Amino acid sequence: MARALRLLGLTLRWAAAHPGLSSFAPFVPILALWALLAASGLFPAVFFPGPMEVLRVFGTLMYKGVLPDYLEDSVIRLAVGAAAGMALGIPLGVLVGVSRRAHRLGWPVLLFFQAIGDIAWLPILLIWFGFGLGTMTFVIVYTVLFPVVLNTVLGVRSVPLELTRAAQSLGAPRFHILLEVIVPGALPNIVTGLRNGLGYGWRALIAAEMIVGTSGIGFLMFDARRAGQVTEILLGMIVLGLLWYFVDGWLLVPLERATVERWGLVAR
Amino acid sequence: MKNLIIRGLSKTYLDPYAGAHVTAIADVSLEVVQGEFVSIVGPSGCGKSTLLNMIAGFIPPSRGEILLDGRSVKGPGPDRGVVFQSFALFPWKTVLGNVTFGPKMRGVPREERERIGREYLGLVGLAGAAGRYPAELSGGMQQRVGVARALANSPDLLLMDEPFASVDAQTRMTLQEELTRIWQERRPTILFVTHDVEEAVFLANRVIVLSSAPGRVLAELPVPLPRPRVWAPLVEDRDFKALVARVLGMVRPA
Repeated sequence: MARALRLLGLTLRWAAAHPGLSSFAPFVPILALWALLAASGLFPAVFFPGPMEVLRVFGTLMYKGVLPDYLEDSVIRLAVGAAAGMALGIPLGVLVGVSRRAHRLGWPVLLFFQAIGDIAWLPILLIWFGFGLGTMTFVIVYTVLFPVVLNTVLGVRSVPLELTRAAQSLGAPRFHILLEVIVPGALPNIVTGLRNGLGYGWRALIAAEMIVGTSGIGFLMFDARRAGQVTEILLGMIVLGLLWYFVDGWLLVPLERATVERWGLVAR
Repeated sequence: MKNLIIRGLSKTYLDPYAGAHVTAIADVSLEVVQGEFVSIVGPSGCGKSTLLNMIAGFIPPSRGEILLDGRSVKGPGPDRGVVFQSFALFPWKTVLGNVTFGPKMRGVPREERERIGREYLGLVGLAGAAGRYPAELSGGMQQRVGVARALANSPDLLLMDEPFASVDAQTRMTLQEELTRIWQERRPTILFVTHDVEEAVFLANRVIVLSSAPGRVLAELPVPLPRPRVWAPLVEDRDFKALVARVLGMVRPA
């Protein structure tokens, strides 16, 4: 026990000395615990393989090219779905946010369809589009759309009235107010919507791939279940977590840093 | 002459919580001549901001009319520049981007509007801050940007709604002195709303005193103090003190 604590202390100090790796540090004890449990022989190795085993399968699947291919499929599906969801969601959110009539008509409908979860659409989508890209794209767009729309509406409505008034008394026409005041003012909420939307979309994609997929990380995991390959399932889970980490750190955080943080709209 | 003429202006709200009609402004008539610097002072809640918002065109009056240069005011427009208490700068635009926003909306080409922008930034002493974002500036500096942004659009009338109320006391005095200097240099027509009697007297050529709610015009007093106006000698000045005391007596009757 004392040894474990000392190890923890060492990891923390090491993490403090290497700030670039600091987000990896919290996983060190988790990995250690996992390795310890697997090595203890408490569970059969077939059901509970250790980290080294997963790493080995990772190497094999990378070498065979299966993992890169499936990863690419999943990421492209998410990117296409998310881009379409944003392209629909941001303008729709701005419209519902600024127009009282659009809000009266649109809001109840949005809340209604939001409640029908992505997976709940699968039965009817399978009948309409079959087992294919159409179904998966629909599910992702659907999942990304609502957080983006609802947060954009919130953002548009939280733009201070005086900013709109300032733009009006500087002679800005309606369209310019929308583009130069309302949309940037709503950006903190839009980014939040995007973050939620991508997160939900990612989960929905994996679920859809499990049910309708012929490739992708979700398919990899579900296919491994059929063959009883616990190691591959665990690998799939780890890849899901890591990938989200990269989306957040390489896409959303830099976007926030360049915009809303720089403008002082959110705390740094 | 581009005069502002206000006749029989009233504003009545329906208070949605009390379910009753509330009169904020009752039958106000006044005139501002081109090149004048007029202060409107009154106790808090007397409707002076409501009055300014009606002149700016942000809210419609219930009765009466507002004429600027002979034309009736219908909604906000670039002929009336506004400086807000909250500064209301666009956080996503640089200082220069804020100041050139008005000319940009008028279709002034980039080079020309940046020249205008830099000229007005120089006027408020912020020539070096053009590329910075509002959040990086102190409150006093932000409001200088607010003044430069409104002036850069060359409005017929500059409306200022307690613009210095949210900066610290020392900065406020500096900003007040600078505003009087800018007014002397450029002679914009200014209508300045404040609850601060000393500020109203210090700045203006004429002080309009409003009563407590509903706001009516209690008095109009000329301010014959010499310019340039500087706080250091003026706080000791007999005429200044007498005028402030007189206005205070009306704003806060004993």
